[in-house]
Amino acid sequence: MLLDLKAMGRFRYVLYGSNILVGLFLLLPIVFIILLSFGSSPWLAFPPPDWTLRWYEKLFSEPTWFTAIMNSFKIGIAVTVMSVLLGVPASFAVVRGRFPGRDALAALSTTPLIVPLIIIGIGLYGASLRYGLSGTFTAFALSHLVLALPFSVICTTNALRSFDENIEKAAIVCGATRAQALWRVTLPAIMPGIGAGALFSFLISWDEVVLAIFMSSPSLQTLPVKMWSALRLDLSPVIAAAAALMVALTLVLLLAAAMIQWFRRPPVTNADQ
Amino acid sequence: MAEPRGERPGQSGQGAARRTAPAKAGPSASRWRSLGPAVPGLLFLAIVFLLPVFGVFLRGVTDPVFGLQNYAELLGSGTFYDILGNTFLVAILVTIFSILLGFPVAWLITIAPGRIAKLVLAVVLLSMWTSLLARTYAWLVLLQNSGIINKMLVGSGLIDQPIALVNNLTGIVIGMTYIMIPFIVLPLQTSMAAIDKTVLQAASVCGARAPVVFTRVFLPLVTPGLTAGGTMVFVMSLGYYVTPALLGSTKNMMLAEYIVQQVLNYLEWGIGGAAAVILLVITLAIYLPVLGFQRNTAST
Repeated sequence: MLLDLKAMGRFRYVLYGSNILVGLFLLLPIVFIILLSFGSSPWLAFPPPDWTLRWYEKLFSEPTWFTAIMNSFKIGIAVTVMSVLLGVPASFAVVRGRFPGRDALAALSTTPLIVPLIIIGIGLYGASLRYGLSGTFTAFALSHLVLALPFSVICTTNALRSFDENIEKAAIVCGATRAQALWRVTLPAIMPGIGAGALFSFLISWDEVVLAIFMSSPSLQTLPVKMWSALRLDLSPVIAAAAALMVALTLVLLLAAAMIQWFRRPPVTNADQ
Repeated sequence: MAEPRGERPGQSGQGAARRTAPAKAGPSASRWRSLGPAVPGLLFLAIVFLLPVFGVFLRGVTDPVFGLQNYAELLGSGTFYDILGNTFLVAILVTIFSILLGFPVAWLITIAPGRIAKLVLAVVLLSMWTSLLARTYAWLVLLQNSGIINKMLVGSGLIDQPIALVNNLTGIVIGMTYIMIPFIVLPLQTSMAAIDKTVLQAASVCGARAPVVFTRVFLPLVTPGLTAGGTMVFVMSLGYYVTPALLGSTKNMMLAEYIVQQVLNYLEWGIGGAAAVILLVITLAIYLPVLGFQRNTAST
């Protein structure tokens, strides 16, 4: 009865009610930020006296904000590409490798998610100072990659695990070379996993703030760093517009991820081998 | 950011069991060859992750001179214990509140009809993946003295004066609980979905009333998810920087902020490094037993 809504009697209203409250709590800041970014009051009055696009205009016309947005995009794309290029081969080693310590490799690839961010942050800060990389594009991209790579490996690994290797072998038996089988059979089959890994990599880079604070310099900032330093001065509505922009991009990418899941439906795989 | 962390290392064991036997148990050289594709990624992690982190620890015992004086200074100062105390207090409160708020959500996702369950899950995932800084900024504005939460409270007559909801412990706990709820919901939901309904039915057929079934059957069965989620939230909270730094004040400084302050403001790399080691040791001491426990229960 505890796992059956109908048998719960009145208690189910308690459950629905508490979910509505928590749901509102979860949505409140997201909805609020979007409304605020279109509000005309510079003092963040709510509800806004009028609606306007001027904060977005400011966001895209003020050079510091606009370059920060562009930097975030460029770095995000570089991180995504590297994360796939390093992560997909690593996943093959994790799933199919036969070397000693394979499980240790799998564990190592996810360690950056366990170590507190702040420790990675000051570590990379120290290293970037020492090697003169502080405030460079390279330092940004490499540091974000530390956090993005685990996601690429996890997503690809999961996809590869549920792919029946016999299908690849069948292709080879039918006359394909190993490379052809890999390129034309295996990779397309695990593409949803690779795609999800790539999306998450971009999102992680796009949203990264702790490492970014340490990697930034006055001449090179990402959008979150720019928001962070603006927040230290005031709560200007331009920040709300920047925040809303970040939310919007997340929404678009999550929808894309949902689409990937959707296309995944007719399974090419043989999960219950 | 960090998504369900706890379950991952366990997954590798499953693959080992399913792995097809190698065609020939060739010489070890060819076994090592299968490591090849991972080499670039490994090199990257070694140079850009392991070495810098190791460098932090090294500075803890070498900066300004070789020795344990940084640790002695930290452990001998009252401020450091205040900061540790704050850090643990926040982590405990955040864990309790996110379990209280996340529990019904995980429950409804498990038992609601498909569409409702998907909708609730979508809300959780949306909030989880929405920019951390955007959400923290939203709370900063919402919780101001002139913010809408205070206005609503005053307007409804519940309070006469706006109450301080931000730049204090309340602000930190609200903002961080908000962020941590998804990390409770997802592992808890996995545990709940794995429960065999008939076990609960059996308990009630045998005469147990709902509250008894809940405490004696349901709760024990979801304990693995609760432990995994709770540990993850607790440990993540211990090392959090951005949200406490923005929603708290210097009075509620937490360990991460202290480390940043030492390194960036005072250039005290030694103290910062030593504090970082303490943070990591606490993190691993709490994390590893739970990970080991999960792996054991997963394999049996």
